[in-house]
Amino acid sequence: MTAAKQQERASADTAPMRGAIRLRGLTRSFGEHVALAPMDLDIGPGGVTGLLGPNGSGKSTLLRTLIGLVPRHGGDAWLDGVRLSGDGTAIRERSTFAPGELAFYGGMRAEAQLDWLLAGRSAEERARGRRTAEDLGLPLHDRVRSYSHGMKRQLLFSAALAPRVPVRILDEITEGLDPSKRGVVLELLREDAASGTTILLSSHHLAEVRRACDAMIFMRAGEKLSEESAEEIQSRARRTLQLHYPTNVDRGAVARVAEANGAERVTGDGGRVVLLLRDEDPRPMLAALCSATELPPPARIEYGELSLEDLYRDLYGTDAC
Amino acid sequence: MERTLRAYLLPAIAYFLLLEAMLAAALLYWPNFQENIGQLKAMAPIDMLKDMVDQLGQGGIEAYVVGQHFFKGCNTLGTAAAVVFSAGAVAGEVHRGTFELWLARPFSRRRLLLERWIVGALALTLPIFLTTLTIPWLLSFVDTEVALGPLMLGALHQSIFLLGFYSLTFFLSTLFDNPMAIALSVLFGTTLAFSIYLVKVLTHWSVYRLADIEVFMKIIKRGELDPVQVGSLVGVTGLFLVLSMVVFQRKVP
Repeated sequence: MTAAKQQERASADTAPMRGAIRLRGLTRSFGEHVALAPMDLDIGPGGVTGLLGPNGSGKSTLLRTLIGLVPRHGGDAWLDGVRLSGDGTAIRERSTFAPGELAFYGGMRAEAQLDWLLAGRSAEERARGRRTAEDLGLPLHDRVRSYSHGMKRQLLFSAALAPRVPVRILDEITEGLDPSKRGVVLELLREDAASGTTILLSSHHLAEVRRACDAMIFMRAGEKLSEESAEEIQSRARRTLQLHYPTNVDRGAVARVAEANGAERVTGDGGRVVLLLRDEDPRPMLAALCSATELPPPARIEYGELSLEDLYRDLYGTDAC
Repeated sequence: MERTLRAYLLPAIAYFLLLEAMLAAALLYWPNFQENIGQLKAMAPIDMLKDMVDQLGQGGIEAYVVGQHFFKGCNTLGTAAAVVFSAGAVAGEVHRGTFELWLARPFSRRRLLLERWIVGALALTLPIFLTTLTIPWLLSFVDTEVALGPLMLGALHQSIFLLGFYSLTFFLSTLFDNPMAIALSVLFGTTLAFSIYLVKVLTHWSVYRLADIEVFMKIIKRGELDPVQVGSLVGVTGLFLVLSMVVFQRKVP
């Protein structure tokens, strides 16, 4: 068997099913800077996956590398069963990509700009793009230079949603939108995902991720920090105990008691202490903490609630927007 | 493709009209030139211009036509058009911020680049052929005739010559991101090369020696292109196109 055939067979073995995205060791550097550390990922088929992380965490590089806009330096990627090769044309034929950077040909009318974005797609798909744009209230006869930032974002969204493809890759698709338009866009994405489309979107906005996504991937410094499904976050919430003390409590003392009674991790700030338990029964931990004479009694106890903000703070050590 | 065509259409029409206006003015001046050739030679401030007037006088209407249309009109305006049509081809997208959007559609980079190269090349060369086609008609106003066939060969040589500048600038456009800086740099270089042509002791260093009256008169007399010259020019154009593709394949948004 030739090397090419062996590679083809190996690719076929690892190729994901239709509509799914699979990365194996995908990596990219810019000079000495590793923008994307070797990354493994499995997404879909179907559903909305959020890509979260602070600026410079490698989200956009990951998306650009996946569709071939940035050549990879190692690893493999598959989208809809097709392996990323060459400049990624085959991948882009099976997906839509909305870049995070917003720049258009200002002299073009919005309708022409939309058609330009949808070049290579069918007439029916272009008509669908126009319908979405009109539904969003965009004046398609106006020149793009007269559009506001948010209107341009909606135009890009209309183009990204139009083609009948199994995968959509959207970089900061709601950035610059007002809350009502953001809601509409997220609703349209949910509907699209419900019809079986796989959507991978990057965002800084935890509220929208919480609302739209079935799974989340957290990134930092080009690496995947954590991958959580909505169920896993729920499960984590059931193992999370938050204690609010009236004063700045000695967290070292709390940690000692908590770890002695089965806490996996102790974090927090100020008077707030967050415990990640090994199991879902908080009673032994609460009993131990309340009976510890060196600790004051907590003013408030929260159990089974873990906001995405908490998770983000937990992972990155800073508040998200 | 449609947007690319539209973007090049108006500049190409403007370039054609300017070229035609320069050609018409020059050809309609032919009787005066013929009458005053002696005085014109005496008025020429530098040796190279005196030699050129001599060439025109000896070569008759053919030399006058190629001198005015190809050497003067196409070499100056055509060089500027070659630079203008290519400096922003890729760098313009980067500068405008639309590069990522341009690449994000389901087309291969090779196709995107070739489409742009071909449309720009057509915008550059078609006006040369079209204006050349009008020469017999323009000369009919001064009761003079020339054979169109050899002139069209001249137009072909001129186009191939200008495509060299076009491809060089196109390559720079894939390499760098500032179209204005690229255009000014190449225009500075070509202006320098044209200036050198006019200095008798340096003239053989100028690239415009490949598209001067002598070269065009040889083409017209022989009725064929010089395969070595044309081969070299096509080679240079091809080389820069290949280099553009290599750089463009690796260009990151």
